[in-house]
Amino acid sequence: MKEYILHLIGEMAKFVLDSNPSRMVISLHQEEDGLHLAILDNVPRSEEELEKIRVALNAPKRPELSEYYGIMAGQDLLGNSRLNLVGWQVKHAEVFRTQEGTKIDLWFGGERFDSSFFSIPKK
Amino acid sequence: MSKQESFLYVLISGIILILILAGFIEQGFLDTLRGLVALQAHPARLIHDFTALEGAGAALVNSGLVSALALTLVKLAKVRLAGPTIAAILTIMGFSLFGKTLLNVGPIIFGVYLSAKVGRKPFAAYLLIALFGTALGPLVTYLVFQAGLTGLSSVLVGILGGTVTGFFLPSIAISMLHLHQGYNLYNIGFSCGFFGLFAASILAAAKMKIDIQVMWNQEPSLTLITLIPLTSVICIGSGILLGKKKAFTDFLAIQKIPGRLPSDFVDQVSAEGTLVNMGLLGLLGSGYVFIVGGDFNGPVLGGLFTLMGFGAFGKHLKNCWPIVTGVTLSCFVFGKNLAAPGPILAALFGTTLAPLAGQFGVFIGIAAGFVHLVMVERTAAWHGGLDLYNNGFSGGLTATLFVAILEWLKTTKESRKEGTQ
Repeated sequence: MKEYILHLIGEMAKFVLDSNPSRMVISLHQEEDGLHLAILDNVPRSEEELEKIRVALNAPKRPELSEYYGIMAGQDLLGNSRLNLVGWQVKHAEVFRTQEGTKIDLWFGGERFDSSFFSIPKK
Repeated sequence: MSKQESFLYVLISGIILILILAGFIEQGFLDTLRGLVALQAHPARLIHDFTALEGAGAALVNSGLVSALALTLVKLAKVRLAGPTIAAILTIMGFSLFGKTLLNVGPIIFGVYLSAKVGRKPFAAYLLIALFGTALGPLVTYLVFQAGLTGLSSVLVGILGGTVTGFFLPSIAISMLHLHQGYNLYNIGFSCGFFGLFAASILAAAKMKIDIQVMWNQEPSLTLITLIPLTSVICIGSGILLGKKKAFTDFLAIQKIPGRLPSDFVDQVSAEGTLVNMGLLGLLGSGYVFIVGGDFNGPVLGGLFTLMGFGAFGKHLKNCWPIVTGVTLSCFVFGKNLAAPGPILAALFGTTLAPLAGQFGVFIGIAAGFVHLVMVERTAAWHGGLDLYNNGFSGGLTATLFVAILEWLKTTKESRKEGTQ
């Protein structure tokens, strides 16, 4: 589980750092059947950019890709960050504009996991 | 299933049907069946051109049947027929003209299935590894028919060998991705080559003969010559039918994608643009073979089918041409015949390195193609031709080298810029 989380955090951090922010906060909250990652930065993004992030992170489930290629998430320095590698593994994703920049909420979990039962507030 | 996916099922099934019908028409019903049965026992290691061994008809029917098995597995595993699965099916289609048979792919697929069960994962999660992993099918054929064993023991050893191979493939394939970071499209070829090194070493230690032989059809029939151009035109026509003008605008959008694994063009852009991309790659690949005077035989058609298949999963005109240029340049520098088996296959299959050109530009692409040719001519002997995706093995080594250097250059450049050194 530790490695899995590191992969996800690594890819999300790479994505944020590609935009050269002066602030980045990544918060992790684990529960029995799943986990919540919140990523905040101070990079202002257009609505179009936010929509692209939403689409990538809410990609349709692709078990043939997520299990095999998903392992590459957060593992390399070369090339662009690839949110779809994370998106195939996400149970639910939300992307908001904040006063300073962007907040991305990601929920991961097994079949039984339901983000609506999560004990921390969404906003 | 979406309308678009249904369309792709009809298209792929249609191509499979064309292969089978063309095979029977080419060679006659009974002779094709006899040849098909005989193919199962022939050596399958690199390079045994099935069209030369038992006739084009038997090879085409073998290709159609193994592809039909692959398509059925995709359906049964409930995996979307999109970029990666189209690439896998067309690759299998091509390699069933020179190495894969109904007999030798089964144990590998079963081994991967067992691996998924042991790991408590759905088979869908490892489906691509199972399909591409059939590159090691020749190991099964070798153990059953050429290892010197007889009777039931040979069959059991063959099945066991293939199953064990398939069982370990997922772990190897996943690890190998880290080395080249997705810049070698045939990752399973890289993995199978790595595994093949050990398998060939064990066979050699057991005093089994495992040398490379080249069986190459130098007089391909008209059916073989026209097969890829026909299939390409069908793909382009289907793309236009599906999307009309949008097929071309989407085709242009695909050219902007670097192509690094996993780039599903059907998902990222559209099926119609992808079909046009596949068709144009097939036509231009055929044009290259025609210009250099190559033979449209089993292995070359294998290269062209694979080129087309990956036209849905990482390859396009813009990221492929630098690789082909690099291979061609390497041939000129080292005095190699462009139409000889090694160089012509390297030009077609070497496009496994297309993402390097797509991400880092033309110069890196040409350099990668240049290095790839000299590597691929050596690597087949290392695994005794057991890994049908020898270009994937060589491509993996080349991509790993380039990624290592490029990564070092990137970090060094950043460090110098920040003044930390």
